[in-house]
Amino acid sequence: MLCKTCNTEIPKKATRCPECGAAVVKPHRNIYPIAIAGAVISFVGGFFPAIQNSDASKKFTPAYGFMNYEQPALWYLFMLLLVASVILCAVKLEKFSIITTVLAGVVYAITYNNICSLHGAPGMENGLAGIIVIVGTIVAVIGCFLDVNKNAAERKRKNGELDYQYTGNKTIWQRIYIYRGFYLMFLPVLIFVLIFNYLPMAGLRYAFTDFISGQEPTYVGIKHFVDMFGLSPLSKLSNKHFMAAFKNTLVLSIIKLFLNTFMAVIISLLLNEMRQIHFKKTVQTIIYLPHFMSWVVVASIFKMMLSASDSGMVNQLLMNIGLIEKPIEFLTSESTWRGVYYMVNIWKDTGWGTILFLATLSGISPDLYEAAQIDGANRFNRMRYITMPALANTIITVFILNLAKVMNLFESVFVMYNPSVYDVSDVLQTYIYRQSFSSGAANYGYTTAVGLFRSLVGCALVLICNKASKKVRGRGIV
Amino acid sequence: MEDTKKAVYKKPKKKITPFSIVNTILFILISIIILIPIWKVLVDSLDAAAGYGMRLWPAKFTFGAYKMIVSRADLYRPFFISIGVTFAGTLVGLILSTLGAYVLIQWDMPGRNLFSWILLFTMLFSGGMIPTYVVMMDLHLTNTLWSVILPLGINVYNLVLMRNFFEGIPTSLFESAKLDGCSPMGIFVKIVLPLSKAALAAIGLMFAVTYWNDYTNFKIYITDNKLFNFQMKLRAMVMDNDLPTDDGSISTNTIQNAAIIVAIIPFMILYPFCQDYFVQGVNVGAVKE
Repeated sequence: MLCKTCNTEIPKKATRCPECGAAVVKPHRNIYPIAIAGAVISFVGGFFPAIQNSDASKKFTPAYGFMNYEQPALWYLFMLLLVASVILCAVKLEKFSIITTVLAGVVYAITYNNICSLHGAPGMENGLAGIIVIVGTIVAVIGCFLDVNKNAAERKRKNGELDYQYTGNKTIWQRIYIYRGFYLMFLPVLIFVLIFNYLPMAGLRYAFTDFISGQEPTYVGIKHFVDMFGLSPLSKLSNKHFMAAFKNTLVLSIIKLFLNTFMAVIISLLLNEMRQIHFKKTVQTIIYLPHFMSWVVVASIFKMMLSASDSGMVNQLLMNIGLIEKPIEFLTSESTWRGVYYMVNIWKDTGWGTILFLATLSGISPDLYEAAQIDGANRFNRMRYITMPALANTIITVFILNLAKVMNLFESVFVMYNPSVYDVSDVLQTYIYRQSFSSGAANYGYTTAVGLFRSLVGCALVLICNKASKKVRGRGIV
Repeated sequence: MEDTKKAVYKKPKKKITPFSIVNTILFILISIIILIPIWKVLVDSLDAAAGYGMRLWPAKFTFGAYKMIVSRADLYRPFFISIGVTFAGTLVGLILSTLGAYVLIQWDMPGRNLFSWILLFTMLFSGGMIPTYVVMMDLHLTNTLWSVILPLGINVYNLVLMRNFFEGIPTSLFESAKLDGCSPMGIFVKIVLPLSKAALAAIGLMFAVTYWNDYTNFKIYITDNKLFNFQMKLRAMVMDNDLPTDDGSISTNTIQNAAIIVAIIPFMILYPFCQDYFVQGVNVGAVKE
């Protein structure tokens, strides 16, 4: 290895260059994504039943897997080992992760053996867990030897993007001692995150159980997921509410996103042309205003404005002009609900959405406009060739930031919908809420499964958006 | 006797183009569209004759509805709960975001990246509504105000915003303070916090708005109507017509409208003074270099 500062050869284990005294730096190493993927596959496999009822109509009842197995300690051990594998890969100690992954496979084999000796009666067949765990383990172990990032890292290193890792003059223990106060400061944050973010994640295991409020959860394998997607003949009918909710979530939030962004861009472009500063300031103050109202307030206001009784302002107005004969039930008819929902969203959030665009627009140098004017560009051309290119990046940024939140749609729908428009308005979160809290004997297992699906789709969206964001503006959103 | 003409600098006259006229009219219209619903609510809340139809000025002026809200315990109690939760929550939120952000700017600290990932992962993936509810139940937090104060207190997005603000503080300040023998907590209290008053205001306001407008958490975790905040009360009043029995002098509609005004008045008053902080918060969040 050569010293970076004076180019002399340094002995292997030296921490400092013997010639110039510069601290030795270690080359940056790669993460092994295949190994991580393998561990995750095994992890997921742990949720599937090891053996299950072979009768197609009663599939998964009974089913036995890690989670209902009489000694939950083995399940926790299995999960723990796989989490350790992922972490070991992430900190680039993938050789050690081989040990933990293989151990996890051994734990699975022991458990499977126990389950079969206890419940392996005729009429039972092997579940998916075995195959998934075996495949996952193999992938994880092989992945530890495959450096798929090798070329990418080489290229970066050549371009000088990826530098050597600076190890510093102090050992890690010395540094931990120096920063000891900071760990104490981070403790409250860590406790909050663990309790309110990570404990619920552990609760996602209910998605594989029947969990009636007040009773102990019982393991049912992937029954709820089969029900959700209508994979078994019995659930063909019952899954239509879930599918409708999923579709509505996508339709409502994506159309809303397009409309809001479009309106915000138009308004900021026009507002930017405004020359009277005071008028502009006033308009800004007014259009930001609705953002500070809660959805409850907004829904209340519009419920009154759009009411079909004679106190509803909009209906009265339309009837007075003579556009309609009798009042329209804006919020309770399926044909108008979505339109009203989009309008209310535009009313509430368009103004607030202009902030970023206005900030970008005010950053464009006036010289550009002047030069263009001298060259004979009219207002349209200046907008086309100066403003739009400058704004394009911000538009994409805003779009990506909001696209990541598509699955979170809840409160705005929750306060505006009602039973007569469930078909066009019900989104996943409201569906979960209703199934859990509004029906008598709610099965938290099923609603957790729906929630898990929502989280996974949301996670995928965030990752895609993050990637897109890195491409477009060189920095991710998370 | 002609005056000698002085060369006076003449301000270039603003050209009034047709476009600017149309533009101005358009924005007046937009402002009216934004303001009409709010104005209508305000008018109806002051109208004893129940604001029917399109009246834009009260026919029978009265403060009756507001008097009622001020005088009835079941109406002003939610208001004070809202205020209490907002203050407590904003405090918790600010403490957690500043502490977390301060740790996240210690680039040389072992484990800094791990902490950062622990926080950012929560933005990627969440347990969802039901597991969170079960956790709250197991902790016996449901039906206490803690269940609405604590979960919103840790907001990773605001924490990252705060970190972005903190990164603007020159590192040399930290180093010189460290050389002078200042402890990490001392640097935090004596240097970081005083230098980021604007950030504290911006993020504090964001927390305050979230807590004041919180409805979802109350709806899920709180079933005891003694602990409802004003949003919950308002919802019950407007949607379910759950209204306090009155003596008939004030119509239902008037009280509902007055309740809406009460729910928005704190931020309507505060907002024009803090507009710049809000705007700053949004801008730092998204367009940072």
